[in-house]
Amino acid sequence: MRPNAMTPATVPTRRAFSERMAEYGAIDSDFVVFEADIGYSTFSHLFGDRYPERYFNMGIAEGNMVSAAAGMAADGRTAVASSYGVFITMRALESVRTFVCYPDLNVKFLSSHGGFTPSIDGVTHQATEDIANMTTLPNMKVLVPADTWAAKKLFDVAMQTPGPVFVRLMRDPILDLYEPGDSFRLGGSHVVIEGSDVTIATYGDILFPSIEAAQLLAAEGIRAEVLDLYSVKPFDREGLLKSLDKTGALVVAENHQKRNGLGYELSNFCLKNRVVPFDNLGLEDTFAESGSYGKLLEKYGLSKTCIAEAAKRLLRRA
Amino acid sequence: MTATQRANRALTLGERAAFLAEKSKEVRSRVLSMIYTAKSGHPGGALSAADIVTALYFDILRVDPANPRWPDRDRFLLSKGHACPVLYTCLAMRGYFALEHLDTLRQFESILQGHPIRKTPGIDMTTGSLGHGLSIGLGMALDGKLRGKDYTVYVMLGDGEINEGHVWEAAMAATKYKTDNLIAFVDRNRLQMDGCCDDIMPMGDIAAKFKAFGWKTFEIDGHDMERILRTIEKARRVRGKPACIVANTVKGKGVSYMEDRFEWHGKCPDTDQLACAMREIWGEDS
Ligand SMILES: Cc1ncc(C[n+]2csc(CCOP(=O)(O)OP(=O)(O)O)c2C)c(N)n1
Ligand SMILES: [Mg+2]
Repeated sequence: MRPNAMTPATVPTRRAFSERMAEYGAIDSDFVVFEADIGYSTFSHLFGDRYPERYFNMGIAEGNMVSAAAGMAADGRTAVASSYGVFITMRALESVRTFVCYPDLNVKFLSSHGGFTPSIDGVTHQATEDIANMTTLPNMKVLVPADTWAAKKLFDVAMQTPGPVFVRLMRDPILDLYEPGDSFRLGGSHVVIEGSDVTIATYGDILFPSIEAAQLLAAEGIRAEVLDLYSVKPFDREGLLKSLDKTGALVVAENHQKRNGLGYELSNFCLKNRVVPFDNLGLEDTFAESGSYGKLLEKYGLSKTCIAEAAKRLLRRA
Repeated sequence: MTATQRANRALTLGERAAFLAEKSKEVRSRVLSMIYTAKSGHPGGALSAADIVTALYFDILRVDPANPRWPDRDRFLLSKGHACPVLYTCLAMRGYFALEHLDTLRQFESILQGHPIRKTPGIDMTTGSLGHGLSIGLGMALDGKLRGKDYTVYVMLGDGEINEGHVWEAAMAATKYKTDNLIAFVDRNRLQMDGCCDDIMPMGDIAAKFKAFGWKTFEIDGHDMERILRTIEKARRVRGKPACIVANTVKGKGVSYMEDRFEWHGKCPDTDQLACAMREIWGEDS
C-alpha cells in the first residue's frame, strides 16, 4: 500500500474485476457469467471472449438475467450476473432478494457505475441507493474495491465466500494505492493512513478524497486516520473499534445516499458500542445530476475540502 | 394547431416531406455538434431516429412550445432516452428553449441532462432507464381517455430496448384498454449496445409480436419521410386498438463511418470526424 506514492490508475475497477474474472474461467470450469447487453462497458466480454459457451448475454432484460442466474446456481454452480448498479439493485431487486439471497445461492454481482461515478450520464444511470438496497438483504455480502489490485483481490474474495456477494465497481479510473502483496478478506479493512485525532471511514472512490483530506488536515496539525472499509457488509467491527480507541471521533464519507448507507450502519453500531462525536457525508436525501465527477463531489459534499471541514467541525465539538 | 402546422396542411405530401428532409439535415448536424461539445453522448441511435423525430416535431405533433404543458398537447416519449440529443435538438429548434443550451449537454447544472428529465421544457417524463416508456405512454393515453381529451401519445422504443419484459406488459395492457390514442415506434436499426440484435437477443418479427398482442402494426422505411407521414396518419385513424410502427432504420444514418456500426452507439466523434460528418450531412464535396 502506497498512500504517499499513488499513481494514476490505468483501468477502472470494472475492468480490473473483469480481467480477474476472465482468468478465473480457467480455475473453475463450471463458472458462468451472465450479462445484460453492456458487456463492453462492464468488460465482462473479457470472460465471454475466452469462454463463449459459459457466457450468457441475456439482452436488455436484467430481471430475467438475475432469475436465470439463480436457476443456473441452484445445483451448485457459481454464476456472476453483470450490469450497472441501478439495474441490478432496483429493476432486478426482487430477483436478487427472493431468488438469490433467500435460497442463499452462489450468485455474485458485478455491479458497475456505482454511486454517481457515471456522472455525466445523469441520475438514470447513477446507483446512489445500491448499498442501502443490498446491505438490507439477509445473506448478501457487499464489497467495494477502490483500485485495481483491490478489484482483483476482491473478485477472489467474492468467489471464496459462500452465497451471494455484491461488488460495487466504478466507471472511471482514479488512482492506484494497493500493491499485489496487500491482502483482502471478507469483513476486513485497511488503515490507509494512521492518525490519532479523527477516523475517516470510507470505501470505493471516496477513499481518494479522504486520503487528500487527511493530507490537508495534517498540514493543520490534525492527524486523521483513514480507514478503507472495502468490506461494507460485514464491516470490520474490531478494526473500527481499534481506530476509535485511538481517535475517539468518526466521519463516514460515501458516494451514496446518507440514509441507510454505511454511515447509518456505523452510527447505529457506535450508539450501541462506542459513543463518539460522529458525522456522515453523502447525498442528503436528494438525487444528484449530470456533470463532471469533480463538480458533483464538490456540490454533494464529498470533495477533500468537504471531508476535511467535516473532520474539523467534529473536533471543535469534541 | 401552430402556425407552422396550419401552413403545412396546405402543402402536398411531397412538399412536406421535402421540407422535413431539409430540416433533418440541421437536426443531424446539431446532434453531432452537441455530442462533440459534450465529448460524450450516443450518436448512433440519435441518427437512426432523427427522421421520425423530425417529422413529429416539425409536422405531426400538436404542441405549443410557448406552453409546454398545454393540456391538449400530443405527448412524445423518447423511451430510448440515450438518443436524447435528437430530442433536445428538435425542442430547441422548435423554440422550447434557446439553441445555446445545446452546447451545455451533460454539463453541470445544465437543463439538458445525460438522459431526459421533466425539468427540461417540452419533456414530460424521465427516460433512459430502458423499458419503461411504453408503460408511461399507456398511462398518459389512459389519462387522456378519462379526461375526454383527443391528444395522441407517441412512444419511441429501441429494438434492443424491447428485450425488457416490461415493454410486453405494457403491450398487453394497451390492448386490454383499447388505447387507440397510443402509437409506438420501434427504431429497428438492428443494433444494440454489445452488437447486432440478432446475436445479443434475437427479437424475430417484431411487427408479428405486436400483432399477436392485439396491436395494429405497420412496417416502414424509417428514413422515407413520405412513408413516415403517411403511416403516422394511418396509425392515427386506427380505432379500438393501439398501433405500432416498426421503422427499419440504419444506426448512425447520414454519416457513412457510423452507419451500421455498433461501436458508434455511445462514442463521440473527434474534430476531423465531425468535419467529415458535416460534409456528408450537407452533401458538400470535401
Ligand atoms: C434498463 C437499462 N439497461 C441497460 C441500459 C444501458 N443501455 C443504454 S442504450 C443500450 C442499448 C439500446 O439499444 P437499442 O434499444 O436498440 O437502442 P438504439 O440502437 O436505438 O440506440 C443499453 C443496453 C439502459 N440504459 N437501461
Ligand atoms: Mg437498436
